[in-house]
Amino acid sequence: MNVASRLPETSAPALADRPTTSAKPPFLGFGLGLRAQHYDEILSGNPPIDWFEIISENYTLPGGQPLRTLDRICERYPVVMHGVSLSIASTAPPNFEYLQGLKDLAKRVEPKWVSDHLCWTGVHGKNLHDLLPIPYTEEALDHVVGRVQLVQDFLGRAIVLENVSTYVQFNNSEMTEWEFLAELSRRSGCWLLFDVNNVYVSAFNHGYDPLTFLNGIPPDRVVQFHMAGHSHMGTHIIDTHDHPVCEDVWDLYVAALKRFGRVSTMIERDDNIPPLDELLLEVNRTRAIAEQVLPGKLAG
Amino acid sequence: MSDFARQQGAFQHGILTGDDTVLAEILDSPREKRETLFGVYRHAYGSRLVEAMRNDHELLHLYLGDEMFDEMGHAYVRARPSEHPNLRWFSQGLPDFLKSTEPYRDHPILSDLAALEKALNDAFDAAEGPVLALTDMAGFAPKLWNDLMFQPHPSARRLDLNTNAPAIWMALKNDETPPDAELLEEPARLLIWRQDVTPMFRELPTEEAMMWDEAANGIPFGVLCEMLATYDDPDGAAARGAGYLHGWISSGSLTGVSAGG
Repeated sequence: MNVASRLPETSAPALADRPTTSAKPPFLGFGLGLRAQHYDEILSGNPPIDWFEIISENYTLPGGQPLRTLDRICERYPVVMHGVSLSIASTAPPNFEYLQGLKDLAKRVEPKWVSDHLCWTGVHGKNLHDLLPIPYTEEALDHVVGRVQLVQDFLGRAIVLENVSTYVQFNNSEMTEWEFLAELSRRSGCWLLFDVNNVYVSAFNHGYDPLTFLNGIPPDRVVQFHMAGHSHMGTHIIDTHDHPVCEDVWDLYVAALKRFGRVSTMIERDDNIPPLDELLLEVNRTRAIAEQVLPGKLAG
Repeated sequence: MSDFARQQGAFQHGILTGDDTVLAEILDSPREKRETLFGVYRHAYGSRLVEAMRNDHELLHLYLGDEMFDEMGHAYVRARPSEHPNLRWFSQGLPDFLKSTEPYRDHPILSDLAALEKALNDAFDAAEGPVLALTDMAGFAPKLWNDLMFQPHPSARRLDLNTNAPAIWMALKNDETPPDAELLEEPARLLIWRQDVTPMFRELPTEEAMMWDEAANGIPFGVLCEMLATYDDPDGAAARGAGYLHGWISSGSLTGVSAGG
């Protein structure tokens, strides 16, 4: 593959503020992260879930049961793609093979949107398979804006980026995480996935008020909420996605609904995965709370 | 190099090697020291990759037990850091690692078990392809049969193992006590493929394995039968060849047939 010939224009003018013009993704309702443990129940029972989010890397495979099952689920439910390896903030060269795999999967799935995280996963040819933190500097912002534009040009669509849970802060940061996200979205045109749990985790870990984060995010840029559980270690919280959503995060969800209005919301469980019925209770709770906070505003 | 790039390099180096230099660029939190907070990333790195290996190698994990598997897993993580964005491919090098690294190479059963599990994993999500049916063969006149060439299903692979790993795999799969590991005088010649969505394997007789390998190389049926004649009763070679072929088609391990020439 001739990578050079596929590189979009990346001259200085091309990397100037150049938001991708694209319509805001639609409101999908209340969804769930698709996990293999629930395949049979979903296909045999058609549970009342408005939409599913898939982990993109679980399906960037040659063939077999995962893709066949995904095809059947896409026939019945709206689906969005959520990746963990875009590594949008990495200073390593872009991985066009990975991006092509993502593009091919998007062609097959026709997702309502494609998301990943504001993080990096490795440099120097290595992948740490973790959502690693960045310093919130002008240099990092310029770099990530350029990368988002490049990825959006390659995929032919605006992407959605999620705030990650972080455990450390860098001493050279020049702005807050929410200022970074707001500016990134404004300059690159990417949309934002507001992970309510991650805001709670990072706020606790770094000692700020999660409402300050929430109020620093521009309401018109948020297109998705994640709701998840975590592990509390006393002095810090680890984002393990292996517990039910805790009450504090439900409270923050209420505040998020008040600020952002109706936003496609989903329950994200990655480990210690319970039966589907148990997760449906949490999905139903996201819906019930939204109906309570935004009466009459969810339809249409 | 930009400062951002330098900082990412230092951060990664700190995770991979335990070097603390990057801590000078990290803040303590109101409740915790930076060493502990950075340690979350260090711990997550190894444990996430070993967890992925446990998922990919369930029966090797069962065979070794938690402690030995995790010790081996962390040794693999140190020796072969992931270079692929998809965790699915991380443990692809495990059979080779076990075959070439002390102390594991002294126990060839381990690399063979890993190789068998890897082959089954690869069959599970291998590319799709048509499955040749017995009825597809009806269209070929008998005089064409000598020229028929067969194409394996994209999921089908051959694997030769020098230990009784297949027997141990089977026992572990069935929750039975596995037999003692032993070296075989003749290798176990396996065919691995996906039947609908299920990965399968079976052991082939020596001459059937030879016939499969040569068929996969594009050797036509007539020549395959001539080769079979050198293995056993020459008069029965064509019947044996037809029998093996019937088995391959019935089990869904072929994707196509064509009359060569």
